[in-house]
Amino acid sequence: MTTLTDRYVYAALRSLPEEKRADIDRELRASIEDAVDARVEEGVSPRDAEREVLTEFGDPGRLAAGYADRPLHLIGPALFLDWWRLLKLLLAVVLPVATAGVVLGQLIAQQPVGTIIGTAVTTLLSVTVHLGFWVTLVFAVLERTTGRQGFSEWTPDSLPELPAPGRMGFGEVIASAVFAVILGGLLIWQQVSSVFRDEGGRPIPLLDPELWSLWIPYLLALLVLEVVFAFVVWRHGRWTYGFAAVNVVTSLLFAVPALWLLFTEQLLNRAFFAEFGRDWLIEPGSVTVTITAFVIIGITLWDIVDAFLKARRAAHPVATPAAA
Amino acid sequence: MDGELLTGHLQELRRGTVVLACLALLRRPGYGYALLEALESAGFAVEANTLYPLLRRLEKQGLLESAWNTDESRPRKFYTTSAEGSELLALLLSDWEQLHAAIRNLSEGNER
Repeated sequence: MTTLTDRYVYAALRSLPEEKRADIDRELRASIEDAVDARVEEGVSPRDAEREVLTEFGDPGRLAAGYADRPLHLIGPALFLDWWRLLKLLLAVVLPVATAGVVLGQLIAQQPVGTIIGTAVTTLLSVTVHLGFWVTLVFAVLERTTGRQGFSEWTPDSLPELPAPGRMGFGEVIASAVFAVILGGLLIWQQVSSVFRDEGGRPIPLLDPELWSLWIPYLLALLVLEVVFAFVVWRHGRWTYGFAAVNVVTSLLFAVPALWLLFTEQLLNRAFFAEFGRDWLIEPGSVTVTITAFVIIGITLWDIVDAFLKARRAAHPVATPAAA
Repeated sequence: MDGELLTGHLQELRRGTVVLACLALLRRPGYGYALLEALESAGFAVEANTLYPLLRRLEKQGLLESAWNTDESRPRKFYTTSAEGSELLALLLSDWEQLHAAIRNLSEGNER
């Protein structure tokens, strides 16, 4: 007949290494029987005594963890901060890039807007769940295999900078992302739902549909790159002249192809302007092309100068609270 | 005095003294349940599920030695403090004395 003690010993030992079991089994049984005997001598019935003793021993899983010297937590204090920082960093970097990549792929495949939004949401969710699960799994394994020490020795050098003038707020990253979403949305919207329709009821886009083969995906990719760049600057804390120089390159990567396409009549869709009988509006010298060119040049110059001004302000703070 | 608060701080203060008590008691061979009883009557409230794994850990660290005694009807594993264990015990005890003296100095200093 199996007793409660048999079941208790089995539960406590089954997760222990084979070679340790026999010895612990013998000792544990002797200890339980000693404790039961002591109670029976005090007048408790053997049945109640066994139950009381096992209740005092507590959860066999806890006892087994004690014997095997296993932690009773998933990630302990030594690794917790490394785990939390890595998880936050990965989520902040991978989540927007993966989602933007999937959306871009859908755009190139010319999926309907509803499908694109649906895919974006499922991508966000599944990437979040995967990152959380795999990072946690790796750390839980590390917790059980390494000497339970953190990765990096902390030094005062890793302290964050004080928020000072020139320090970039996270607002700029958000603004950059919102701008990218709006501009990307407009690029797609003018393709799928224009103000004009042809005889077949299909929308007539404002921009030349041929651009979809290369230039519009290129622009969308550039928008994603801009958001990532804004994030990198924010991680660094402040604008530098190096970042301002990179910003010149990304600005020109946008402006030069845009102007070239505009002046070679590849940017605007002739069919769109033909709808109201003014297809010459896409030709160089027309008021549309001139205004568009000024807007592109204006935005680009402002973007370039703004970055250098921010870099200079960060390099020579006017008055910090500490200096005042 | 808040009972829970007191219990928490007492536990914190007594953590580690169980090792000292085990090493001291096991200078004469003893087995699990007898040691549990001895600790309890000496005022060390230690749980069975803490003590038994602790004995094995101390044995693994070379501070205790063990031998099975099968002379009686119930075979029992007897533990004895090893030479290394005695050495550690002496060091822990002298540290304990120093702590005791330091704390007495502190509290007497405050009364003046």
